[in-house]
Amino acid sequence: MFAYVVRRLFIGVILLIVMSLVTFMLFFLMPQDPARVACGKNCSIAQIKQTEKALGYDKPALTQWVDFLQGVVVGREYPEDKTLREKAPELISDCAAPCLGYSRVNQVTVASEIKEAFPVSLSLAVLAFLMWIIGGVLFGVIAAVTKGTVIDRGIVALSLVFYAFPTFFIGLFLLKFIAIKWGLVDVPSYTTIAEGGIGGWLSNLFLPSLTLALFFMAGYVRMTRAFVLESMTEDYIRTARAKGLKRGPVLFKHTMRAALTPLVTMAGLDFAGLMGGAIITESVFNFNGLGKLVVDANVSYDLPTLIGLVVLLGAFVIVANIIVDVLYAVIDPRVRVA
Amino acid sequence: MSFLSVRDLRVHFPTIDGVVKATDGLSFDLERGKTLGIVGESGSGKSVSTSAILGLHRRTNAIVSGEILLDGVDLLKISDEDMRRRRGRDVAMIFQDPLSAMHPYYRVGNQIAEAYRVHHDVSKKAARARAIEMLDRVGIPQPDRRVDDYPHQFSGGMRQRAMIAMALINNPSLLIADEPTTALDVTVQAQILDLLQDLQRDFDAAVMIITHDLGVVAEMAHDVLVMYGGRCVEYGSTKEILTHPEMPYTWGLLSSIPEVGADPEAKLLPIPGNPPSLLNPPSGCHFHPRCTHRDKVPGDLCWTVSPELTPGTRGDGHLKRCHLANPDVVYEREVLPEIAPDLVEER
Amino acid sequence: MVKYRKRLLAATAAIALAAGLAACGGGSDDKSPDNSPTGDAGAEGAKGGTLYYYIYAPYEHVDPQRTYVGVELTNFRRTIYRSLVAFPISEDADVANTPVPDLATDVGTKNDDATEWSFTIKDGVKWEDGQPITCDDFKYGASRVFATDVITGGPNYLLSYLDVPTDKSTGLPIYTGPYNSSPEGQAAFDKAITCDGNTITYKFNKPWPDFPLAVASLSMMDPYRKDKDQGAKSNYQMFSNGPYRIEGSMWNKNKGATFVRNDNYDETTDSTDIRMALPEEIVFNVGQTTETIYDQLIQDSGDAQYAVTSQRVPPAYYSQIVGDIENRSVLVPSPYVDYLVPNFRRLTDPAVREALKVATDAEGWINAGGGEKAYAPAESIVNPAVIGYQDNPAFSGPQAGDPDAAKKILDDAGVQTPYPIKFTYPQSDTADKQAAALRETWNKAGFDVTLDPLGDTYYDVVQQPDKDSDVMWAGWGSDWPSAITVTPPLFDSRPNLTANSDGQDYGAYKSDEFNKLVDEAANAADVDAQTAALQKADEVLGKDVAYIPLEIAQFYFLHGSKVTGYMNTPASSMYPDLGPIGVEQ
Repeated sequence: MFAYVVRRLFIGVILLIVMSLVTFMLFFLMPQDPARVACGKNCSIAQIKQTEKALGYDKPALTQWVDFLQGVVVGREYPEDKTLREKAPELISDCAAPCLGYSRVNQVTVASEIKEAFPVSLSLAVLAFLMWIIGGVLFGVIAAVTKGTVIDRGIVALSLVFYAFPTFFIGLFLLKFIAIKWGLVDVPSYTTIAEGGIGGWLSNLFLPSLTLALFFMAGYVRMTRAFVLESMTEDYIRTARAKGLKRGPVLFKHTMRAALTPLVTMAGLDFAGLMGGAIITESVFNFNGLGKLVVDANVSYDLPTLIGLVVLLGAFVIVANIIVDVLYAVIDPRVRVA
Repeated sequence: MSFLSVRDLRVHFPTIDGVVKATDGLSFDLERGKTLGIVGESGSGKSVSTSAILGLHRRTNAIVSGEILLDGVDLLKISDEDMRRRRGRDVAMIFQDPLSAMHPYYRVGNQIAEAYRVHHDVSKKAARARAIEMLDRVGIPQPDRRVDDYPHQFSGGMRQRAMIAMALINNPSLLIADEPTTALDVTVQAQILDLLQDLQRDFDAAVMIITHDLGVVAEMAHDVLVMYGGRCVEYGSTKEILTHPEMPYTWGLLSSIPEVGADPEAKLLPIPGNPPSLLNPPSGCHFHPRCTHRDKVPGDLCWTVSPELTPGTRGDGHLKRCHLANPDVVYEREVLPEIAPDLVEER
Repeated sequence: MVKYRKRLLAATAAIALAAGLAACGGGSDDKSPDNSPTGDAGAEGAKGGTLYYYIYAPYEHVDPQRTYVGVELTNFRRTIYRSLVAFPISEDADVANTPVPDLATDVGTKNDDATEWSFTIKDGVKWEDGQPITCDDFKYGASRVFATDVITGGPNYLLSYLDVPTDKSTGLPIYTGPYNSSPEGQAAFDKAITCDGNTITYKFNKPWPDFPLAVASLSMMDPYRKDKDQGAKSNYQMFSNGPYRIEGSMWNKNKGATFVRNDNYDETTDSTDIRMALPEEIVFNVGQTTETIYDQLIQDSGDAQYAVTSQRVPPAYYSQIVGDIENRSVLVPSPYVDYLVPNFRRLTDPAVREALKVATDAEGWINAGGGEKAYAPAESIVNPAVIGYQDNPAFSGPQAGDPDAAKKILDDAGVQTPYPIKFTYPQSDTADKQAAALRETWNKAGFDVTLDPLGDTYYDVVQQPDKDSDVMWAGWGSDWPSAITVTPPLFDSRPNLTANSDGQDYGAYKSDEFNKLVDEAANAADVDAQTAALQKADEVLGKDVAYIPLEIAQFYFLHGSKVTGYMNTPASSMYPDLGPIGVEQ
């Protein structure tokens, strides 16, 4: 198992390097010239060239990529200008190894951008994850054991509704009615535990997490329901009943164990995706997490931030995949031997 | 009164299209220490009937009626909880495919011990010791080690042995084996059947063995019940049924047994046609659309009138459901030469 | 001028009347929402309270030498960044477009040909740390503009105007800013801007008669403290010399900032004509969506009662702005003009361009885009709020498009119809509808129109010399209220047309007549002469159909009920003017 994980991690690192290269190439293949945009109105070619230098996009794309990789290993300074180092050292920004890059647009290291945004996304993802897993599995199981009844149909119909509505719609709807019209909660704005305590942190996270959770929950309700119903027809469930087991253990020990296994895989990957994927929710609620960072970096042609995020989010997914695979082996003994 | 006495058992499933009569008026008796073979094609109602005995249709939409008297107690009248307590303790079941019938995520020993702990208030350790003991009893080598294996780590035969251990751990008085050897290869089949016979002697249990294989019946059963379309079509002692069957369907089953060591080129006679629909069974005799002897019955009796279970020509508890006036003669003269010419010569 | 007043009056009727300008236009039957300031009806509100300012898109820069967006410039000009001169608070464009002294003692002294400007800095003006604002601080601020590889994104007028020689090899001035310049460059710069005690003198290589307008509009000439400068790292740093200072010294790009009172600000050195500085605190809240901002403003509860915003009412919310809520709304013309550019490389026949102009249904375009709440008609590419505005005679009067007349022009010129043209514009659902409205009359006139909506990139595409568009959409607003920042940057072929790009002259318009008038304006020693030349230049553009004006986007804003002195002024680019705005307590 250990060798397997090491091998997977190694492949993951290679994959990340390739992803960073592809992102570099795609960025420079864009028709838009970031320097022209950043330079503003009435810019001469010479000024655009200067802006290109200021943004660090003046070298060939491949050279920039090699510089990036080198920075990850040994660190960099921005800009790399020896005469400037002597004349005006306060203008130079250091980026120690492992340097993920330095955003010229925001004038901070990519690592510190991520450090600031990560807790926001993590908080959102964790809370949303808990809500949707608990809600999704609970309602899914209820629907499965009440199959065909009004309860089952109600749950399935409601989950369809939430699944069909776009996230931004649900987000704006919750914000407009729960926070603004009815004033049940304040308009959320991300508050760290240090600033607002657990209560402040939770209450501000509630609506955005719920927005995210409702969408996922809808899917998980239907999946849980299907998996539980499917595993209820398994022979080993009949065996369990024939042994004289009570309904409780049959459902929770035998049925759920089998039904939830595929959910673990999906939940793990969804969670990893959410770390950088809550773009719409973060935008609607103005939470400055990784998703919003991605959008902003895109809008402002901030390549270093984009690269850093691509690598980070790629790493999330790769690590999540490995964790899910390991988890799977823990859950399903058949996988262990294989 | 018999140890197990089933009277007019009906299991009906209401569906949108109508009522599926999976079991429709089944009656039989079984004593401790005896084995009843229930034979029939897939969909003839064998498994549905035995599931009814275990009470597995409870809390489903199935409508079960009739009487299932086990040691004088009507299993259809007792509470769900009472039934649950009897499951696995008084009545135990061995399933067809042990790989799918065992939970893939739990250790074999765990699953066996669980069956014990449901009915006995003992520690996990004690249950585990009992599981090892049972594994040993069913012939699993190194049971103290294999007890911690997962089902997929067992071979097919070992899995079935483990299933048997699980079923017998509570010393049940009635054991239902649902096609216990179908999924196994021939040599393992024989071992399992031997084991079952051994154990039956030891435990003095009543055994119902469900199969579509008359060979298994010949080896195991004292009595045979042939099912077709949810009904009993022939019933009697194994010897009687195998040597003097009086129902064309049973003849068909006999003719479709491949004989071990037989010439592969030899003619196999499967029963032509399909099993009857349980939703819209054929009129008259359920078997008439596939029956090659219906012309011997005068008029359109086979089409219009469902035959009753009547005593066979040789008496002795033999029952058959057929309009043929002289089935013994038809069998001797027409069927036997077709399916076993060597036997005819011997006579 | 008269025309301009009439327009402004229509938009700001109540104020105009209150200010005694009724003579210019008489009563107004304008149905636009009430524009009178709420609360104390424009009278001075009391000091104190917290004002909230809702912003959606993050500000790219708050460094004075890098800021280049009208609303950002004016927000900071009224609160944190003072300069030599500033525009006063007024809804009357004549008043609003006339700079008044701010950190300088007067509005500046120029030499005869307007190539040299001098200002004397007031005594007693201080930075937020109590140090006096010196001439050197102004000089240092201007020097930063030259560090084009560090201080990017800001206005670059100084590079071409200031009397510093150009390096032939780079095409840039030999002075490259305070961080890393050659001694020769430094010497040249030290000659171009000189300090004599408290008096700063700027020497230009050509006349700059409207220099004070540029100083007031943009913050590129603002003072900057050398010891606070960290180059690009100072992008979000704010060091105040105004009535407020930023809490925590850094503007948070994604959150905004809170402005609090600056203890070292001496209001006797300032004028309430420029800043009333009423709220105790101003909270800039960045990032809420327009929908969330307007949900809160319409609900008018909590902080939103004390809020203004630079986001416009989204069309989906128009129907909610009724009753009492309507009293909190304003509808004012923006400082921008949207226009069409014929591609002179392809539409070489003047008759074709003329027919295109005559057939253009600007009213249809406006109606398809949301009507009067979204747009007002435009009769020139120059916005009416710009000094010296006049209707371009080529576009005077209603522009509903006259396909019959256009067809006649084409027929008379012997142009074969249907004449295929391709119309390029940035794609959006609204723009698609508007483009379809234009196509209708164009097709009737004998054109065969292909619509060419573009996705993410727009200007980069229409700047390409080899584009196959025949007509393109574009929009523009002035940098300061002079047409010199409108028509020359858009139609002077000399700086714009290069081998790789058409610059901002998207239609590749090239006219010696026009260029001559631009030179005349650029070399004019006073604003009146400059204005006269630019008015003639615009007429040339109209005659050649270098552009076809479409509309002036309307600003439709809502503010909280406890906001006092609410105004949208030319000085604030028609966004909420933080100069007079206060809050009830």
